Order: sequence, then structure tokens, then C-alpha cells
Amino acid sequence: MPRFATLNEAWMVWDGPAPAPEGAVLEYTRELEKFLAEIERRAFRMAQIALRDPDDAMDAVQDAMLKLARNYASRPSGEWRPLFYRILENGIRDQQRRRSVRKRFMTWLPGPKEDPEGEAQDPLENVADAAPAIPEALMQGQAMQQLEESLRALPARQREAFMLRNFEGLDVAETASAMGCSEGSVKTHYSRAVHSLREQLGEVW
Amino acid sequence: MNERSHDSFEERSRALFNDSVEGLDYALRSRLTQARHAAIEAASANRRSWFSRIGVWTPAAGVTAAAVLGAFLWLGSPLGQHAVTLADGQSNLEDLEIVASTDEGSADTLDMLQDDIEFYDWAEKTANTGPAA
Repeated sequence: MPRFATLNEAWMVWDGPAPAPEGAVLEYTRELEKFLAEIERRAFRMAQIALRDPDDAMDAVQDAMLKLARNYASRPSGEWRPLFYRILENGIRDQQRRRSVRKRFMTWLPGPKEDPEGEAQDPLENVADAAPAIPEALMQGQAMQQLEESLRALPARQREAFMLRNFEGLDVAETASAMGCSEGSVKTHYSRAVHSLREQLGEVW
Repeated sequence: MNERSHDSFEERSRALFNDSVEGLDYALRSRLTQARHAAIEAASANRRSWFSRIGVWTPAAGVTAAAVLGAFLWLGSPLGQHAVTLADGQSNLEDLEIVASTDEGSADTLDMLQDDIEFYDWAEKTANTGPAA
């Protein structure tokens, strides 16, 4: 820096914002990006199972990513996973609450009622698929569909415990942190979820 | 229901879930990537603004701390105490004049004050309580 004899002199002349230490920001964003890339698809599928609608699921995941990045990125990276899923589960619950309020409001209004499933019929569902279905993939697809239906039928806390423990692989302590409850509650919810699912799907599987 | 059937059920459901994750279409993957980039950008902006806040406030905090320290030292020093108490009464002013008008150097004066501090303390108490009986 030829114009200034010392760094302090430079600071006295500089009137813009201080530059961030690029090395620190790069290291930290790289780690956060790696973490989000690892979990984003699984998080999306879990949100989709809970909310059914892919757009709602995408909104919930995007919101959780932003909140984690803005508010909790300075926490140790080991805490990110339970924190992220806690934010996501809160977002999912908010969406479900908004949806039920909207549904109640819609029933007061005159006009065509929503169908009982709460979603419009997609005309493409009735169009035959041109490609021949692979039987194994089809069977797997059906099995997953049945699993999703059964998961949606579970109480929310049981569904959360099952997905976090079994799908995401969180341990009991992490799941308790993500769900905001005790480890004992996680074990109870999880055990009940497995029992219910096993009963519902046992014959089909 | 035994443990083994529980385990196989859990394994099967996990495998199905993993397959469904792998089977996500490219449009959804692309949207997830965009969402991730937006989050990273937000985090970087957050961190930069945090650093810039530090950059702006550090010199101000330094100047303030220096001013407070200077005031503390000034008021805490013997000179500062005299400066504050000058307005308290004429007697203090006279004391200062006596000390200042001494023929000896200021270092000697300070030494005298140090040596006789108990005396001055006693004299002050005595003056405040009135003449001794």
C-alpha cells in the first residue's frame, strides 16, 4: 500500500464499510453449503411426505435453509442438523395450521367446495404413461406411496420421530433436540410409530 | 412382534425412502440448489455486515474508551481532585496557593504531602468537628 505509511493511516482515510476477512467467510460458507447440499433432498422428501404438495415442501425447506443460515450459522456445525430439522418441523406445522385455517375459511364461502382430499384433481393423472412401467420400480413406487400414506395418518409427533430417527438417521439425543422434547418422549413416539406402521403395512409388505 | 421384524421393517422403509430421494427429478433438484445458494448468499451477507459493523464501531468504541479513561485518570489524580474541589470553597483555593507558592520544587511538595498525609487527614477532621476541647 504505497499511499500509507501504516495500516492505521489507511483506516483513517477509508470511509466505506470494513471488508470482511474473505478467508473466514469462505471457509464458513463452504462448510454450510456442504451441509445443506447433504441434507436438502432428504429434507425435501420429508417435508413432501408431511405436506403432500411439492411447492409447499419446497417453501418449507427454503425457509428452513434461510433461517439456519441467517440465525444459526455461527453455531458449531455439529449443531446444525438438529437445528435445521427443528426449524423445518416448525415450518411444516405452520403450513399445516395455515392450511386448516384456510380450509375452514373456504367452507364459509359460497361456491364450489374443495374435494375431501383438499387438492384439485390433476388431469394428467388420467393420461396413460407412454413408457412401459418397470415392474420392480412400480412395486417400489407403490410401496413408498403406501408408506407415505401411512406416515401421513400418524400423529405428527410420531411421524416426526420416525422420519428423523429412521430416514435421517439422527440419534435419540439429536432427535429430542430437533423435536424439542425429552429423549424418553422420542423413544415412546418412535416405538408407537413403528408399531402403527407395522400394523398398517404388515399385510401389504 | 419381535425385534427382527421391527428391524427389517425399518430397513425396508429406509431403503424405500432413500430410493425416492435418489429419484427426485432434475427440476426439483435445481430448485433445491437455487434455494441453497440463496441461503448461502444470505449467510455471507449477514456475516459481512457483522464484520462491517465491527469495523465501523471499533474506532468509535476506542475513542470513547480513551475519553473515559482520560477523564477517570484526570479526576482520580491529585491535580484532578484539586480541580474539582476548587469551586467548593475559598479555603481550598488558599490551600492550593500555599502549596503552589512554596519556594521548593513541585516534587518536594508532593513528597511533603505524601509524608504528612496522616497529619492532613487529622487536620481536616479536626477542622470539621470544631476546636478541640
